[in-house]
Amino acid sequence: MPRVMDVEGHVAKLRAFWRRERRLPGYGEMLGLFGYQSKNAVFGALRKLEDLGFLERKRGRVVALGRLTGTLRLLGAVQAGFPSPAEEELADILSLDEFLIRRPEATFMLTVQGDSMIAAGIVPGDMVLVEKGGTPKPNDIVVAQVDDEWTLKYYMKDRDGVRLDPANPKYKSIRPARSLVIGGIVKAVIRKYD
Amino acid sequence: MPEFPFLYQSYPRAIIHFDGDAFFAAVEQSIHPELKGKPVVTGKERGIIACASYEAKALGISRGLSLREAIRMCPGLKVLPSDYETYSLYSKRMFDIARRYTPMVEEYSIDEGFADLTGLRRLHHTSYEEIALRFQADIRAELDITVSVGLSLTKSLAKLGSKFRKPAGFTPIPGPDIRGFLAQIPLEKVWGFGPNTVALLTQYGLKTACDFTAHPEEWADRLMGKVGRELWGELRGSALYPVTTEEKSNYCSISKCKTFTAPSTDPEFVWAKLVRNVESAFIKVRRHKLRARQIAVMLRKQDFRQAGLELRLNRPVSVTRDVIPAVRDLFESLIERGAEYRATMVVLGKLESDGERQYDLFEDPVRIEKREALSEAVDAVNDRYGKHTLSLAPSLFLDRNRRTGRDDQPQRKSALLPGETRRQRLAIPRLFLNV
Repeated sequence: MPRVMDVEGHVAKLRAFWRRERRLPGYGEMLGLFGYQSKNAVFGALRKLEDLGFLERKRGRVVALGRLTGTLRLLGAVQAGFPSPAEEELADILSLDEFLIRRPEATFMLTVQGDSMIAAGIVPGDMVLVEKGGTPKPNDIVVAQVDDEWTLKYYMKDRDGVRLDPANPKYKSIRPARSLVIGGIVKAVIRKYD
Repeated sequence: MPEFPFLYQSYPRAIIHFDGDAFFAAVEQSIHPELKGKPVVTGKERGIIACASYEAKALGISRGLSLREAIRMCPGLKVLPSDYETYSLYSKRMFDIARRYTPMVEEYSIDEGFADLTGLRRLHHTSYEEIALRFQADIRAELDITVSVGLSLTKSLAKLGSKFRKPAGFTPIPGPDIRGFLAQIPLEKVWGFGPNTVALLTQYGLKTACDFTAHPEEWADRLMGKVGRELWGELRGSALYPVTTEEKSNYCSISKCKTFTAPSTDPEFVWAKLVRNVESAFIKVRRHKLRARQIAVMLRKQDFRQAGLELRLNRPVSVTRDVIPAVRDLFESLIERGAEYRATMVVLGKLESDGERQYDLFEDPVRIEKREALSEAVDAVNDRYGKHTLSLAPSLFLDRNRRTGRDDQPQRKSALLPGETRRQRLAIPRLFLNV
């Protein structure tokens, strides 16, 4: 079966590389980039891209042409004229995700069932974003396993050690007798109204 | 017998292989913390064990065992339906954590990958061993699962390393240690040696991977050709297989296999499942702008015996409907009335790029293009309203065998958050704790 070269794909990969590195990849790098097994294949692909006017060969060196690298582009894909003021202003904004989640790999969602943190504004049915892997500071709200029992409480420290405080007068503070595992620190509360 | 090492240098190249320990079960224990330390298995919806936690493995339960058998062996076993969405979210995070250390990360499968650390000691101000250990510690702290890591000069050696100590193991194999390490590795553990190769090598009196590398390169080449030569080099510490960061885009074949939630003797139901697989496979073919020239169909019975047939298409196809009559013929010759089936599978092969169109003398290009336009319209509808919203008529029979057990669904799907739907859920793993 004759292989059909994926020109569009190759150009996109070279462009991405150019954006990142501000240079063309070497033959060895192109091998991996295009997913070829032999440098001869790379050579063939380059010849084709040369024919199509993406590249040029100058004294044995491959040079990228404007068709590949594009001309200077500052903000977004603006065909002509100045970038729109809105686009310029919106270069430094956070998405709601980024605003709520500081460490995306370590953040999990938990639906709260109990009412032990009601005075802290966390009611049954609320969703909390829990970050794992951190060390809690006093006054942080934590998900913790105290002597095999999982609970949502304020993390506190005093002369006698760690104390977990509820935010509901119905419940008492607890102190771990045997073990304490911190499952994560609450970083945000989400409540959605329909 | 004292022997010279293959290499005196420790890490002219530093590649790690990381492998999630009992990945699916570990993820379940991570989102259901009360299951930690307990025997847990996944695969409830299929009636067969997909993954067993280390606690379950210790009781003799392993992947592939039937659930009935497993519960008999361990009455307290916690059996969970597979939650591939959560496993994939964890997988993605695992690779994102690896990318904190190097951009050269290869996603080899859902639960294992490679990373090339070469030259990163200065950037991280520490040794390769320490970088690998930090990565491992990050995974444990943030994802609450463990990975086993092998560090060496090549992908093949690193992969042997990660399997050497499990779970949560770390096995560095620097240049001078390669030879001694390989002496402890039986042939069948080597990545790339299948049962046939092992049988062949055993004929020559080989026992360990070290025996293999003790022969000259030409010998490996003569016996196993290019692959033999490459493995020989990889095992001796010269990196021949690069860590490839590219997302997979040139497929050799695309396959779809789905096991029914309950086995069925109803041919129309089995046919409906098969058609659904054909549809899914072709959706993928079109997404990657490919066409298929070959199609293979397989039916698997409840007793795991299977039968399959393969068909060459007279032109490359990307429209599902175009192959259905041919697939029906295959199906008719495969199906045994009265037999109980558990899965169907479709493999599309001889894939080629969608780019150029060439028509046979006897074909009607207008008709083909019309069908392609229809197919595109169907894809557009499904993109908007969810996969398989619009599908071929046999899918009406899919409901015949639907077991409406809520417990066969992962909690993520049975306890939706406000605003989530059966089709779309938040891209974040959920912890299930009663607090």
